[in-house]
Amino acid sequence: MAALAISSCGRRALLVDDNVINRMVVRKLMEEQGIALEEAENGKKAVELVKEGRVFDLILMDREMLVMDGPQATKQLRSLGVTTPIVALSADAMQSDKDSFLQAGADDFVEKPLSIDKFALVLTKYGLQDGQAADQ
Amino acid sequence: MEIGKLQRRYLDFTSTLFHEGFLDNQFTQLQQLQDESSPEFVLEVVTLFFEDSEKLLDELSRTLDQQAVDFKKVDAHVHQLKGSSASIGAQRVKNVCVAFRNFCEEMNQEGCLRCLRQVRNEYFLVKNKLETLFALEQQIVAAGGSVPMMW
Repeated sequence: MAALAISSCGRRALLVDDNVINRMVVRKLMEEQGIALEEAENGKKAVELVKEGRVFDLILMDREMLVMDGPQATKQLRSLGVTTPIVALSADAMQSDKDSFLQAGADDFVEKPLSIDKFALVLTKYGLQDGQAADQ
Repeated sequence: MEIGKLQRRYLDFTSTLFHEGFLDNQFTQLQQLQDESSPEFVLEVVTLFFEDSEKLLDELSRTLDQQAVDFKKVDAHVHQLKGSSASIGAQRVKNVCVAFRNFCEEMNQEGCLRCLRQVRNEYFLVKNKLETLFALEQQIVAAGGSVPMMW
């Protein structure tokens, strides 16, 4: 499943999360920032989107998902040559879970749920505040 | 009832919900995201939470009622409920889900059933509280006032 919100500022993000409530909240956070968002309900769908040629400035990747989890999807995306920043999302993750996600190729780890402030920090860190797309 | 009294009642009620742990700061985050472009955002998210949670609770009852319990399936449902409740700030529901997942990992059916009773109880409590909160908001708006915010 993928949904694209139209934006006029060129920034594009991919949210990979199997929870419909989480997606609704992040969708609103993205809308507030004018960032076009696509959504995938698991890692496999995310990999398929990239294989179809979709390009993103930021990927938010949930850790636990059925079909394909975050670390597996991250590993596959990196093996496909994707250099987009991937920010891992998880709640109550143990240090070993965080480490394995980062070892899989994630750039960062943020605790869920995503607050307005945490989201702003992520955007600032990965250069999405100024409307310029990162190179792939 | 006069607008000022309704607004005070609303603030007192909201304060109690936070004080008693029904809601946490994530609910405030949702309220802060609500604006003129999405004036019913909180109601929409919470309504979806209600629908989703009740489906999950029914699934959990069914799955735990089996002779041979599929604990992976139970855990997957609890994981979803934990994520949703955390996303809307339903703290007490989320906390029971944390304990629930531990019992799933231990494959402890009795522990899981106890948690199911607790999480169902906490869910319906917070549902009742949130419905009351939204009803108070409607009363304030119907009386010509604006809904006061706590931040």
